[in-house]
Amino acid sequence: MTKTDLLIVGGGPAGMSAATEAASHGVHCHLVDENPALGGQIYRQAGAADHHQTDRDDTLARKVERRDDRITILREASAVAVFDGRKVALSRKNSTELVDTDVLILASGAYEYVPPFPGWTLPGVMTPGSAQILAKTMGVSPGKRLLLSGSGPFLLAVASSLLKVDVEIVAILEASPRWPWVTLPFRAWKNLDKWKEGWQYVSELRNAGIRIRHGRIVVSANGDNDLTSVSHAAVDRDWHPDRSKVETEDVDTLCVGYGFVPRVFLAQLAGCELEYRSEIGGWIPRRNADMCTTVPNILSAGDGAGVAGVLVATLEGRLAGLVAARRLEAIGDAELTSLRRPIDAELKRLTPFRKALDRISRIRPGLNSLVDDETVVCRCEELRWKQVRESVAFGGTNFRTLKVQSRVGMGPCQGRFCWPAMARLVAEQSGCDPKDVGPSSPRPPIRPVTLGALAAGVGGES
Amino acid sequence: MNRHSDVVVVGGGVIGCSVAWSLSKRGLSVTLVDKSFPGRATSASAGGLWPIGESIGLGCGVIYHAAAGEESPGEHPEPLPSDFMNFLCESNNRFPSLSAELVRQTGLDIEAESGTGLLYLLFTEKDEKHADYLLDWVGINGARVSRLSQREALEKEPLLSPDLRGAIHFPGDNQVNPMYLAEALKRGACANGARFVSETEVTGLTLRNNSVKEVRTTRGSIACGALVNAAGAWSVRLARMAGLELAVYPVRGQIVCTHALKKTLHCNLSASHCYLLQKAHGEVLIGSTTERCEYDVGVRFEDLCALSAGAVRAVPALQEAGVKRTWAGLRPGTPDELPILGPVAQLGNYFNATGGFRTGIVAAPLTGEIVAAYVTEDALPFPAEPFLQSRFDDVNRDAPSSTGPREARTSAETPFAPSPLGHRRD
Repeated sequence: MTKTDLLIVGGGPAGMSAATEAASHGVHCHLVDENPALGGQIYRQAGAADHHQTDRDDTLARKVERRDDRITILREASAVAVFDGRKVALSRKNSTELVDTDVLILASGAYEYVPPFPGWTLPGVMTPGSAQILAKTMGVSPGKRLLLSGSGPFLLAVASSLLKVDVEIVAILEASPRWPWVTLPFRAWKNLDKWKEGWQYVSELRNAGIRIRHGRIVVSANGDNDLTSVSHAAVDRDWHPDRSKVETEDVDTLCVGYGFVPRVFLAQLAGCELEYRSEIGGWIPRRNADMCTTVPNILSAGDGAGVAGVLVATLEGRLAGLVAARRLEAIGDAELTSLRRPIDAELKRLTPFRKALDRISRIRPGLNSLVDDETVVCRCEELRWKQVRESVAFGGTNFRTLKVQSRVGMGPCQGRFCWPAMARLVAEQSGCDPKDVGPSSPRPPIRPVTLGALAAGVGGES
Repeated sequence: MNRHSDVVVVGGGVIGCSVAWSLSKRGLSVTLVDKSFPGRATSASAGGLWPIGESIGLGCGVIYHAAAGEESPGEHPEPLPSDFMNFLCESNNRFPSLSAELVRQTGLDIEAESGTGLLYLLFTEKDEKHADYLLDWVGINGARVSRLSQREALEKEPLLSPDLRGAIHFPGDNQVNPMYLAEALKRGACANGARFVSETEVTGLTLRNNSVKEVRTTRGSIACGALVNAAGAWSVRLARMAGLELAVYPVRGQIVCTHALKKTLHCNLSASHCYLLQKAHGEVLIGSTTERCEYDVGVRFEDLCALSAGAVRAVPALQEAGVKRTWAGLRPGTPDELPILGPVAQLGNYFNATGGFRTGIVAAPLTGEIVAAYVTEDALPFPAEPFLQSRFDDVNRDAPSSTGPREARTSAETPFAPSPLGHRRD
């Protein structure tokens, strides 16, 4: 079993910032990331063998790599489980091993929220994030004619990445009505630089002739074996579609995503308490101002602790790195107090912008009305809403009971992908709040491991 | 929720559902109260229906024995009483008709297989010695088994390791989907008029004149004519609310589940480091540990590794299979590994349906019938006296120091043998 002072899970902005901050105060740490290169989703770098030019912002990654005296990077490794306290099982290729760490920082990021709708399982329907990966890391176009749909500024970023590959973007459908700038609180305008960034995307896309249509959502994806067309409709304030205003567009690719869901599975396995905050993605680890979860010496930073974007993730990562350094007695209390002051101030400055954006892009109940009895709601097990609805009537009121009654979440994804949206459907069906339905209950391993790799772990404990 | 029910059944695992179904078939009004605590045994069961295999200590028994190593008492696990084997066989025989009846009634297929059979895999000389012993034992007790050579075993199960020396084949030991079994029984009970109250915890019992008058829950009270305790590993808590001590304790079992694979295994397999079976949906389940650790439903890395290594040793082709998830459940264990069913002396309308330990799934159909017969005072479908809680009181009565009921209760609080597996020989 490997022993380390500090283990950081996730090589995105939060994890990289935590590593450099802790290392700059003399802490030795291990940084685990699943990808061949650091960066996470936002700074995704092209693989080493790939010379395709990407819009990389890799200064953070370079900083981490230069600190190789103190930061050990474990690439293409997955943290698959946490056992008794802070023993983390890492899986790499054909082996699994335990790493015993004094302090653990979880910076696992977030994944896309995709609500079910008729036809969403057709080949050709994907998340904006996966289209962006194709474009950014492989320079591959996801299709010929493409429609982007959902909510939030990420759609614009993806569209911008797609401009660099050969694909015709038919339109971008943003569910929220034309962004209600005038209703924003005055404080939000203090973050003018963030709004400017958004505006840059908008003007870039406008110059490329791409239409952004507000107040519309996809109501169905159509086709027999592959996607051939998409129907979309105008929505009201709660995103209830007006079926009299449906338009159909011939496309071969549809990217749908309504923001992000924090990846909290490791925190759950570690026994961290969760709380429900729908405006920042749903279930998040309960934290104090030091980024500490309810389990001693387990910290959580970045989108995995509540979706707030790259700037906040970077700041939270730095703060987590500082607190870890304090816990490991690399710095004293006074040092921590003075070092964190500018970080706290900057986090506070970003708050109004965050809150405004949260309010604009929060998930509205109308999305539930897209689902009919025949819509697949658990993709792995190909369960239709009718089956899950019946199970709800027989007391399947949370993830665990639905799972044993109807196999919801029994497939390879363990409910990661479908449960966030299904929880809203189940809540509506049983007349309660999504928070009463609860989160999914992940079981280790949270990433695929072969039986042989697990068998090879025998004796790893001694 | 203030309503009256002829019978309140507490616990929505396979036993509670079976009791509720049997009672509702007899025309009684039944309320099934359930709180899905993590780790109920039904959802951590592999669903093996191994009446003979389990009775002679295969499945978890041999794994526990092998893991205990030097500390193991004796060469191999001891078989349970032959009465118990007959009870399990009798219950197992009900599956074909039960399965058909539940499909008719609820549309749910409980995936009860026939013809799968169980193979006890012999890899070492010690395993072979154990096999000789078992064949003698089951021979005396008239069970249907046969000894297979390595070649014969590989014909039945081609992907077994060539290190295999031979096997014992139990053609009547098959499998079912335990979750669907519980769900179908529950929906069947509801179709018969039973009421299912989900995610509701019992907070107390109102007792009067040596009987249970009312079950108090987090959602109000239910007046009842009788109470059935089917709360599995948690049944001791419910019993305490009735002022009773039960010799039941949680025994953890950890289990590993692969992704759905194409047809890989044709038999259920039991070896000294794990058991394996492939379910109807394609997953291979690999179990299981046997440990006392209170209500901890976590898994341990080293145990998962050991189970995985056992599986790869038995079926090397599984090396590349992906592990989908691992988890643990709490079996309701008893000191003599036998269930606790039926009435108690202290309360007239209280009935146990607990202590199913490792065999709750196969025992579920007959357990439901027996407990329902006790409640309705009908003739028992099987002689169930060996399963009364009072068998432990008898032990206490025999002991010279404890004669009064108070002493009996006190001594029951520290139940008997500390080992999760009693090694009682009949």
